[in-house]
Amino acid sequence: MFTLGSVLDNELKSTVEDFSFETNFSTNQLMLPNIEKPFEFAQSIIGLEKDLQENENQLMFHQQKKEERKERALIKGYKGTTTLAFIYEKGTVIAVDSRATSGQYIASQSVQKVVPINSYMLGTLAGGAADCQFFLAHLGRICNLYELRNNETISVAAASKLLNNILYSYRNYGLSVGSMICGYDTRGPQLYYIDSDGSRLKNSLFSVGSGSPFAYGVLDAGYRWDLSKEEALDLGRRAICAATFKDSYSGGTIKVYHIDENGWVKISDDDASELWYEYEKKEKKEKK
Amino acid sequence: MAGKNCVAIAGDTRFGVRNQTVALDSNRIFKINNRTLFGMTGLNTDILTLRESFKFQMNLYNLEEEREISPKTFAHNVAQTLYSKRFGPYFITPIIAGLEGEDYTPFLCATDLIGAMEFPKSFVVAGTGEESLMGVCETFYKENMEPEELFEVVSQCLLAAVDRDALSGWGSVVHVLTKDGITTKRLRTRKD
Repeated sequence: MFTLGSVLDNELKSTVEDFSFETNFSTNQLMLPNIEKPFEFAQSIIGLEKDLQENENQLMFHQQKKEERKERALIKGYKGTTTLAFIYEKGTVIAVDSRATSGQYIASQSVQKVVPINSYMLGTLAGGAADCQFFLAHLGRICNLYELRNNETISVAAASKLLNNILYSYRNYGLSVGSMICGYDTRGPQLYYIDSDGSRLKNSLFSVGSGSPFAYGVLDAGYRWDLSKEEALDLGRRAICAATFKDSYSGGTIKVYHIDENGWVKISDDDASELWYEYEKKEKKEKK
Repeated sequence: MAGKNCVAIAGDTRFGVRNQTVALDSNRIFKINNRTLFGMTGLNTDILTLRESFKFQMNLYNLEEEREISPKTFAHNVAQTLYSKRFGPYFITPIIAGLEGEDYTPFLCATDLIGAMEFPKSFVVAGTGEESLMGVCETFYKENMEPEELFEVVSQCLLAAVDRDALSGWGSVVHVLTKDGITTKRLRTRKD
């Protein structure tokens, strides 16, 4: 139903006329099923409760109850996560967990929630795994093409705007993307939050996912612009560790990345539960 | 799970509200007497209420009958209490494990929330991770296990199942009941 081929074909067929952003990125469209009222069909197969509530009025299937629609949902998302990112004086820190849950069943403890866009930009994955993976990889393709055509590296603001425009055109189709685009460009460390509702927000720190309230607690308490690199990495790690402890839908391993003017680097990959026990031990030692 | 003249009950100790973990030390397995252990999963308030209710009933039984209740009788008592609330049930899934009679035969019983009893010979499971638990127990269960081996098997089953369920974990406790008494051990589980 949704095919990759159509997107790539449009890219390859682009000619001289396609140097402007408008023609290039508004004609690329994922294929819709070849039926009457494809929009309503797309709505009906999504089982994500958020979309069902929002679009209650717009749907043609008024007589169907919410539960019936949820049962018919063919696309079951893997949700539940904690991701965070913040910028500070020396660069950007990104920390993520690695658990995917389907209801209360832990589907995987080893999901890659950070997707590289290019050598100095990373995107995080929250919400629907397939949606995020596809659109972040697609963003990577677009950024690469931009660099080849314009002979300069793309700014984080522009890359995030491109993704934002694409996602806005798929608004209300039931996509679930809560991604953070983080990077380092000529303006310094940059961080944007992109949503499948069409929002694009710029700030110095974000946390996304079911465990984000718990991560915000630790993050907000310890955040300063003039952190040292060690302190910043430790802060990110501790915030995710707290979220994995408190939130049942986050866990697995904690991965920490750092982006500075030399590009992105993976700093560490620790088991969430072991890290919690270590922090407990350290606290006990300090008390003595 | 049942072994040779011994039984074991294991459970996690998490108390949570939807996705948030609130407490790490909520005990849901209670000793009724030296022959019977009683575990419950489900709504926490019903667990606490029924614990008090059964404690009261057992105290009265001891005073009137001047003897300890047998596990089988206790299981029927549980079923009766749950069915009395047939149209406004307690939202729990109880498990009763004990040693019956002079020769300490293992006794297991599980009921649903309105008191339908089942008496399997091998193992019983309950809780949010009961499907995972069922699979793992089925794989590792053997007949006539000695207490040490039973402890190992029960611990491994619980840890494996709890790691696949987002709503279980954060500490666990295992009780092994033999004719010499009850041994209790706490296991180190994942805290994520």
